[in-house]
Amino acid sequence: MSKVMAAAEVQVNLLFFAKSRELVGSKEATLAVPGQTTSAQLLAAIVSRYPSLAVISNNLVLAVNQEYVAPGNDLLTLQPGDEVAVIPPISGG
Amino acid sequence: MAASGLEDTELLRLREEVAEKTREIERLKLMLAEGNDTKAQQAKDAPPTLIESGNIQDIPTFQPADRLDKPAIARYSRQLILPELGVKGQLALCGTSVLLVGAGGLGCPAAVYLAAAGVGRLGLVDYDSVELNNLHRQVLHTEGRVGTPKALSVATAVKGLNSTVQCVPYHLQLNSTNALDVIKQYDIVVDCTDNVATRYLLNDACVFTNKPLVSGSALRLEGQLTVYNYKGGPCYRCMYPTPPPPETVTNCSDGGVLGVVPGIIGCLQALEVIKMAAGQEVSYSQRLLLFDALDGTFRSIKLRPRQASCVVCGDAPTVTQLQDYEQFCGAKACDKTQSLRILQDNERISVQEYHTVLSSGAPHLLVDVRQPVELDICQLPNPINIPISQVSRPEQLQQLKTAVTCKVQQLEQDDHKLPVYVVCRQGNDSQLAVEQLRNLLSDLPVHVTDIRGGLMAWARKIDTSFPEY
Repeated sequence: MSKVMAAAEVQVNLLFFAKSRELVGSKEATLAVPGQTTSAQLLAAIVSRYPSLAVISNNLVLAVNQEYVAPGNDLLTLQPGDEVAVIPPISGG
Repeated sequence: MAASGLEDTELLRLREEVAEKTREIERLKLMLAEGNDTKAQQAKDAPPTLIESGNIQDIPTFQPADRLDKPAIARYSRQLILPELGVKGQLALCGTSVLLVGAGGLGCPAAVYLAAAGVGRLGLVDYDSVELNNLHRQVLHTEGRVGTPKALSVATAVKGLNSTVQCVPYHLQLNSTNALDVIKQYDIVVDCTDNVATRYLLNDACVFTNKPLVSGSALRLEGQLTVYNYKGGPCYRCMYPTPPPPETVTNCSDGGVLGVVPGIIGCLQALEVIKMAAGQEVSYSQRLLLFDALDGTFRSIKLRPRQASCVVCGDAPTVTQLQDYEQFCGAKACDKTQSLRILQDNERISVQEYHTVLSSGAPHLLVDVRQPVELDICQLPNPINIPISQVSRPEQLQQLKTAVTCKVQQLEQDDHKLPVYVVCRQGNDSQLAVEQLRNLLSDLPVHVTDIRGGLMAWARKIDTSFPEY
């Protein structure tokens, strides 16, 4: 079992914006994810739960508690109830 | 005394003559003033010179004033007494040139507040012309200016509000050939565009010319706002290095937009520009505003500084000149819905052919794959409504299969197949639906085709009273 798998899971609040809202069909949801993770793994967990997001998974920004998290493998610590925002760009005007 | 009497008469005559001459002078003065006023009015009323692709360099020179004159003080008095702006801030604002790209839902509110506040020069870029369906959100255009270039329409409106602002309307499509020449003549760029390709173009051009980019966007009931490429903050590519697949990008025509949403974002763009120009801190550099109009919520996401790895503004950039952004994004630099060609011509019927089917009463099924809200706007007789996103859902499919079975019984000969015609607004979703339905209905005696050009073709070619939207 890897370290990440062994870490305790926490329940986070997902917020969907713009296209992700349309693809998921909802503004918010809760998801259990490892408390110790990376933004890449967090995104993978979200897309795994909501496969309709796969088509834009390279084109969105994640923010935890209203703070941008850079994509990649830096360690990310999540607390229960943390707010994870899924933010694709809007291009209309 | 006779001489004196004569003198009196002469004096009286002279006085009358002086009075007459005085009246004459007043009359002439009045005429002169009216003439000047008319000339001044005519100059104000004259439409601003439209810049097109051939004369980008021909914009008038811009000489900022070094003091506020009496009319300027009267005009700006209510903001001059704000300590945050003051005379210094107003002079800075009057000395700033702002390029606004996109004279639509974001551009109209941004332009009106920038002009009212007194930016020195306001460039207005838009390749498009005013349409009736713009007016619900593009509030500077008028019914009378439908069909005229949007840039000119906004310049005309703005000139009426503040004739001291130098308005430069550009009726052209910004692209990798002309963007730098236009942008370099301005201090701040405001992204009020409606498509992904132009957003990447503006971003890269602003990085190359070192201009801040005040970027807004809106769709449906959501808006976003960020100031890019400013004081070490990220650029658009730092945030979104890869453009979204074109089929996942929704435009206002397909997705809809409530006018006040771009209205609010456009006003916030103007606010950021005014603060920046007047030497105040801006609020949305390294911040992303998410506005949800339905919930009435504003969320502000803290962003990182520019990414060292960014291909355009990073430490070792690989993109060092403007590229072909339509190719990069796989989509045209406009928000017009592109016609898809998924089905072969012989797999589709024309609106004329469907008109014949409808008139003859031949057994068939019409499947309308638009959203229910769109059927409330207009529809052809007796459609079965299955929204494109729900075509494969079991309950919807069962409804369709039941209808097919019922209709098949009306066929005169058992070996005939029941025609199933799929329709949507413009003939794109209908093709996608045909592809799905052919498989989903493969166990039934049906022939599935779509109606080329959809209901908009019907409105143009068969029934001109049919609504277009």
